[in-house]
Amino acid sequence: MLLLQTLVDGLILGGVFSLAAVGFSLIFGVMGIVNLTHGIFVVAGAYIAFVMWHHGGIDPLLAIPPIMAVLFAFGYGYQRTVIQWATERASIVASLLVTFGVALMLRNVLQMVFSPDFRSIAPAYSFAGVSLGPIRMDFVRLIGLLTSLVLLLVLGLVLSRSAFGRAIRATAQQPLAASLSGIDVRHVYGLTFGLGAAFAGASGAVIGMMLPFSPAAEGPWTLNAFVVVTLGGVGSPQGALMGGLLLGVISTLTAQYVGPAFTNAMMFLVLVLVLLLRPQGLFGSAFGESR
Amino acid sequence: MTISRRRVLVGSAGGATLAIAGFPAILRAQTQRRPLVFGGSVPMTGAAAETGLNVLNGYQAAVKRINEDLGGLQVAGTTYQLEVRMFDDASDPQRATTLIQRQVDENIGLFLGSFGSNIVLPTCAITERARRPMVQAGGGSDQIFTQGRRFVFGIFPRATRQFDTSVAFFKRLQPAVATTMIVYTNDPFSRFQAEGAKKAIEEAGMRVLDSIALPAQVSDVSAVLASVRQHNPDILICNTHDENSLLIARQMISSNTNTKLLYQSLGPQTAAYREALGRYANGVVTQTYWDENAAYQCPYFGNAKGFAEYYRKNFQRPMTYHMASAAACIVAYAQAMKNANSIEPARVRDALAAMDFPCFYGRVKFAAQGDGDAQLLGPLVAQVQNGQLAVVHPEAGATGRPVYPVAPWAQRG
Repeated sequence: MLLLQTLVDGLILGGVFSLAAVGFSLIFGVMGIVNLTHGIFVVAGAYIAFVMWHHGGIDPLLAIPPIMAVLFAFGYGYQRTVIQWATERASIVASLLVTFGVALMLRNVLQMVFSPDFRSIAPAYSFAGVSLGPIRMDFVRLIGLLTSLVLLLVLGLVLSRSAFGRAIRATAQQPLAASLSGIDVRHVYGLTFGLGAAFAGASGAVIGMMLPFSPAAEGPWTLNAFVVVTLGGVGSPQGALMGGLLLGVISTLTAQYVGPAFTNAMMFLVLVLVLLLRPQGLFGSAFGESR
Repeated sequence: MTISRRRVLVGSAGGATLAIAGFPAILRAQTQRRPLVFGGSVPMTGAAAETGLNVLNGYQAAVKRINEDLGGLQVAGTTYQLEVRMFDDASDPQRATTLIQRQVDENIGLFLGSFGSNIVLPTCAITERARRPMVQAGGGSDQIFTQGRRFVFGIFPRATRQFDTSVAFFKRLQPAVATTMIVYTNDPFSRFQAEGAKKAIEEAGMRVLDSIALPAQVSDVSAVLASVRQHNPDILICNTHDENSLLIARQMISSNTNTKLLYQSLGPQTAAYREALGRYANGVVTQTYWDENAAYQCPYFGNAKGFAEYYRKNFQRPMTYHMASAAACIVAYAQAMKNANSIEPARVRDALAAMDFPCFYGRVKFAAQGDGDAQLLGPLVAQVQNGQLAVVHPEAGATGRPVYPVAPWAQRG
């Protein structure tokens, strides 16, 4: 029974990891950019949800659409200016330094605005639990998992069924061919980056209900996203989902049967093994044709 | 009398002459105070910034008080204008060591500590090597005090000695506490504090059913709580920092994991913690090193309440005991310099080692190895009652009666 409880806890945690990582995965898959600002987008989403809940009484789940809109706009503008300038004038590697620098600056901006004190979003239902026989589940985490699944499904449909999704996939696979077919590649890059930021922000709203957060929390979320993408594969919601679930289960199994202090060690051990045995991740690259 | 152009000119010239003649005197009065700089770093950004800023505010409050209200610090016939020259170490020990080494090279003679044993430990090694005193309110790890250093002083007792008052509190509770369980963060401070707690609890005849280490960054404690439910201890002790304490409490509530008492060494002191948990925070027990209602008298602030009032009047940041602990570092330095009749680092160090001085914070006295005297400067035990902290132990200074066993989460009001 303990094993079952641990697996359920791991899957619930993993669902949130997946949502938090899918934006990173998309940006990396389409543009090849390792976005070190990703954790900032997650934390910014949490702060926007906090402001809307604390000052406007708006439930964090209802706040997800406006959060996604704000971060989409920010992500688009950020890519079309800073990232695009850096990658076009230098190289794709320059984006690594640029996003790292911007992350440092934005972390300080968040601290100036919100102070370094940790915050927490606690709607009325945030202390509720659900029991299924002997299995106990944290209601907020369960909600987080469901939200993740819904949003990942929506993203999957957008990428596979819509004209916008086709444009993204085409651009990821062959930017030149996409351009010759009339796709505004720069615009698609901006939109993809915006989409990645929007999903990161949405995950922030969910994470803000589960965990206390402060500007300094951004680093671990970038790292988590990196691990999830390496495990699951680049560019697809399915890969992010599998990577996230795997990470969550590894995390809780290690905590239960080895010791909570070893979760990070085990996470990176698995990461190294995956890189050695299947470097493309479990699902490979969703846009593998080009790479 | 009519005002003529000639009179205006003569008057202006006279005024200007007097002003020029008087200016050096004014200047002299202002520059009579010699600057005395306290160096150091503190987390103003990064993971430890919340408490780091609390510590910084405490240092600044005491310096402001001495400079502006007490006419500076008089030592050996000279008046000093105190200055806190703290840099942001961004919660990064490597950055902190660079900053401290630079200040040592700039001949700063007296140092204040950062927040967090992981930062204080490497930085105090630098000041020790340079034979410059460091007084700090941010590092309690035993490693700071047990490696033969002579110039490092801590307002807090070392971590393994911080649990004695809490165990005395546990022994008072009825029905008698038989079993406990410890969860701690695997860092230089919390690990030693947990070790001290385990030793003190077992010496008191209670059992520690399990002791679980957590990493610094935790996003889920379900496994830990499954273990708590399995063992069902009377008291769950968390030697964890603010964010992890809140996470543990939240998951305990939602998974309906109940113990007779939840004890968290850090977290419940902050308004953010109590606000986040609301009514569920009631009953949680914690440590606090200072209470503004204590009857301590002080030549610098009058008494404990005097410090609290002064701080609130001049600073915006909500007060926690860290402000008082940090201000006590400055007061200790000031008194040590007076006692030594010198600002020379070695003599100040000797005066600190010999210090036994009552102030708004309590009786400041350091143990032989530099940490705060465990009996005089050890923590009080406080419980959240009606959303506020009430001191429940020791009985002499209590502002509330302990509630034990605490009601299950679902019945907290």
